[in-house]
Amino acid sequence: MKLRIGVYICSCGTNISENLDIDELARVSSSLDTVTYVKVHNLLCSEEGKNYLAEDILKEKPDRAVIAACTPKEHEKTFRNVLQKAGLNPYLFQMVNIREQIAWVTSDKTAATDKAKSAIRMAVRRVALHEPLEKKEIDCNTDALVIGAGPAGMEAALLLAKAGRKVSLVEKNAFIGGRVARYEEVFPKMECASCMLEPIMDEILHDENIELLSCSEVQEVLGFVGNFVVQIKKNAGFVDKDKCLGCGACYDVCPVKIKNEFDYNLSERHAIYVPYVGALPNVPVIDKKNCLRFKGENCTLCKESCMFDAINYDDKDELLERNVGGIIAATGFELFDPSVLPQYGYGRIPEVYTSLEFERLLSQTGPTGGKLLMKNSKEPESVAIIHCVGSRDKNFKEYCSSVCCMYALKFARLIEKHSPSVKVYDIYADWCVPGKDNQAFLNSVREWENIKFLHTSLPMNAEIQQKGDAITVSCTDINGKKNELSCGMVVLCPAMLPSKDNMRLSELLQITKDQDGFFAEGHTKLAPVSTNIDGIYIAGCSQGPKDIQNSVAQGAAAAGQVLASLVPGRKLELDVMTAEIDGKACAECMICLNLCPYKAIVLDREKKVAVVNTVLCKGCGTCVAACPSESANSRHFTTQQIFAEIEEALK
Amino acid sequence: MAKPKVAFYWCASCGGCEEAVVDLAENILKVVAAVEIVLWPVAMDFKIKDVEALQDGEIAVSFINGGIRTSEQEHVAKLLRKKSGLVVAFGACAHLGGVPGLANFYNRDKIFEYVYHKSPSVVNPEKITPKESTMVEQGELTLPKFYDTVYPLDKVIDVDYYLPGCAPPPDLIMTAVEAILAGNLPAKGTVLAPDKSLCDTCQRKITKPEKSVIKELKRVHEVLLDPERCFLDQGIICLGPATRDGCGERCINANMPCRGCFGPTSRVEDQGAKFLSALASIMDANDEAAIIKLTDSIVDPAGMFYFYSLPASMLGRRIDPDIE
Amino acid sequence: MCNWCSYAGADAAGSARKTYPPNISVIRVMCTGRIDPQFVLKAFQSGADGVLILGCHPGDCHYKEGNYKALRRFHLLRRMLGQLGIDEGRFRLDWVSASEADKFVATVHDMVKTVKALGPLHKITAPSSLGTKGKGSGAFQEMGNG
Repeated sequence: MKLRIGVYICSCGTNISENLDIDELARVSSSLDTVTYVKVHNLLCSEEGKNYLAEDILKEKPDRAVIAACTPKEHEKTFRNVLQKAGLNPYLFQMVNIREQIAWVTSDKTAATDKAKSAIRMAVRRVALHEPLEKKEIDCNTDALVIGAGPAGMEAALLLAKAGRKVSLVEKNAFIGGRVARYEEVFPKMECASCMLEPIMDEILHDENIELLSCSEVQEVLGFVGNFVVQIKKNAGFVDKDKCLGCGACYDVCPVKIKNEFDYNLSERHAIYVPYVGALPNVPVIDKKNCLRFKGENCTLCKESCMFDAINYDDKDELLERNVGGIIAATGFELFDPSVLPQYGYGRIPEVYTSLEFERLLSQTGPTGGKLLMKNSKEPESVAIIHCVGSRDKNFKEYCSSVCCMYALKFARLIEKHSPSVKVYDIYADWCVPGKDNQAFLNSVREWENIKFLHTSLPMNAEIQQKGDAITVSCTDINGKKNELSCGMVVLCPAMLPSKDNMRLSELLQITKDQDGFFAEGHTKLAPVSTNIDGIYIAGCSQGPKDIQNSVAQGAAAAGQVLASLVPGRKLELDVMTAEIDGKACAECMICLNLCPYKAIVLDREKKVAVVNTVLCKGCGTCVAACPSESANSRHFTTQQIFAEIEEALK
Repeated sequence: MAKPKVAFYWCASCGGCEEAVVDLAENILKVVAAVEIVLWPVAMDFKIKDVEALQDGEIAVSFINGGIRTSEQEHVAKLLRKKSGLVVAFGACAHLGGVPGLANFYNRDKIFEYVYHKSPSVVNPEKITPKESTMVEQGELTLPKFYDTVYPLDKVIDVDYYLPGCAPPPDLIMTAVEAILAGNLPAKGTVLAPDKSLCDTCQRKITKPEKSVIKELKRVHEVLLDPERCFLDQGIICLGPATRDGCGERCINANMPCRGCFGPTSRVEDQGAKFLSALASIMDANDEAAIIKLTDSIVDPAGMFYFYSLPASMLGRRIDPDIE
Repeated sequence: MCNWCSYAGADAAGSARKTYPPNISVIRVMCTGRIDPQFVLKAFQSGADGVLILGCHPGDCHYKEGNYKALRRFHLLRRMLGQLGIDEGRFRLDWVSASEADKFVATVHDMVKTVKALGPLHKITAPSSLGTKGKGSGAFQEMGNG
């Protein structure tokens, strides 16, 4: 039975009709033996036009429709809706651009008309090969997994929980709070960091909808948006959190003393410990590697000291499984290791510290109780702070690490507050102090009489030597003059790097990283927290260097994405024009597998074929073009449809 | 009941397809017992006029191998078509044009010039070139016209079935012959081999990584070929993914990569183009310089990707303004 | 042309009423990654004298990497087409963003000029003595195909 193809030509007011001969176009098109009828309308996109179209479709009942009008980018959707309401599958329709790409750009009217005739013929031939496509929907889980309990992760978790979603918050450490748990005060308002975090961490621990899995790491992620299955390994802590009151009796009696990594080895802890006083959750863990009992000895000192019987040596690692709809990766940062740059003396000269180490020295919960003391317990006479160590340096990291200028000023302000006689030398290349309050902070620190600023050029060129009891710092300033100063302590501001976990996680989650290892955002401006994988979002320093304020903002943004895309009661609508692989034809050559940026093609090892996951497929067609046996085809952009257009174009 | 009449004919071919029939070994006795051969120039003494004398359609099936590149081949192919119920394009040359099809990079004049004048081993000081007719004492002697282009059989006559391969493997031939004799045949125009690519049954498939990328390409004489690993994974061009299955991977089992003699699957119009697409897609290069470095390392893309299929490809031959 | 950048760029040229030669026919695909070398061959087989592919700039592909795949295929295909007697100038790949109406127009002008200078692509038709299935019987038309 012959297909009934109806052609509608819109003259777009005079936009189209003044540049090509509509009557001639209609005449020639209706003489095509595959065309059943041709109708001309003045303005199809108007209310009247749309009504006309709908009524005409209902009357004529064509099998296919071709509309020659403006660009499909303008009204393809409009007309698809009209056709659907009029009972014609919206994909049994082809739009022809005779305005932007013909009428408006062709100087000769006859030439324009000829081009339009060809374009309509192409569409008529193509549309005969269209299939009716139906929109699909799937159920989705609206709960979430948040990886990382720093400021970004906690913000995301709290927002999601508030909206009623169940959140599994996975944190590899025994404590929450991220890096901020190590700070004494935060810029620019010099707020007490622990006071700032306390209410947030409290909510995290007590919210019904948040399941905190500390000492845990994500092992495997299967599935896709709305339907993830996540496997999490929860490492045994050996202390029952429901029984423990956090009294601290157990760590006081532990005979083992080892370096405390929370304090960057500047202090010591026991084998059963909390990383710092005030750590939350306030439940110690046993460090299996260093605990005497786990090394074979029969020590039970901690268990004996516990009045609440909270210690359980038989605790085992657990493998947990969670079903979630969305995942947020907020895994934070670590610092560039300055020992790679021997001129800074880090690791060689005892009083050269990184900024995170220095934070611990200034912290009340740190190795010196917040007093500015050198390793010999004396106060230094002066402290030099050096910016841009490894940052803004083409040999290491080209980017600016965003927060160092501000925390260098914070250090100066803290020293001014607690050790006002100590002199500070601030060696900087530029000031990076954007935002509402930061410039004012810089201005006020500048007024302190004990701080001297040394302006150098990039890359940072300071050289640090131990000279007797003191340290000499020499560097060339911006005017080319060599400067040398003597001080007791040096604080380096190393570049901010993504957490080492990003490597492993990017593979697990299949999200892309940039050349520096930070998770890659979907679009620099318009999609800062999305990734190439639907349903997986990123936030905080795992995406790039930023301060707490921006990390929290991104945490909220990521939560917003999850809340918006996964709505209870609403199904996930899938893309219609996806690729499909003919299971009878596919030979499992696997050439397509790695080509998909959305990881939408998977191997069915049992059936020995590749399968397109239509939930993730965005319909780009790259796999279809690559398939050497033409087993993959693209709904609505099939090879035969395009061949038909090409052949017709050249007749 | 009379035995069905069968004809074998060869056009522009190497003779390997006749050997393939002989390779049926003891099975050939079954064939010979079941049919009456009315034409087989390599083995029997029937003449063209014997075929001309038959009724139209009297031959049950003609197996024609070789591509069409002379007027004589065209003539006999058309004759056999007229006299046969079924015509089977036998072997890669009849199916796709085959290796002789690589002559489609040239034309008659260029070929003759090389073969009769320029080839290092030719001594032809008078620059004699073959002609289609010459007068001798007894009259005119003629030779068939040598075309500029090699054509697959189906560009000349209507073909019912194709037996692919260079040469078709004995088991494929037996299956086809048995099916024909039993009248148990698929739709007209079918290639009588599985419609999936070679990777489906290749034993090296399990060594293929899921993330296949090409970082470097090498030629078979440049490296020691690992007898167990997927060739593409070793950086060796293997047309397996773009080639129809059914040959039993005889080349691959002999540690040589597939050259594509079975042609593409039914859904593909141009085997060389599809293979090119697959190979280029998995190249591990995104900037132009790196891409060009990789593509330049392929010495002869057209010759390699169209090794058997140039005449059957979409362009059919090199575009040549010197040809009518 | 790909649906996102280059097609929009061509539309922008239209909105700005910039004129260019009418002898290009446009095939719209969602991404240049969809462009199968068979499409290019089909175009030349059907009578095109030139084929132009336009896509998003590297790094801007709406589908992340489709244009890189297109670039890889393009280079190998262009070389192979050269071996098949199709001059390099007849096959071109370029990047046009949604805002580059001028670049679109300039590219079309340049392509038409290049192809015109190369002349019509000689079409091989099967000799009339041969059978019905001869392909490549397109007319000598000067057309770029995008």
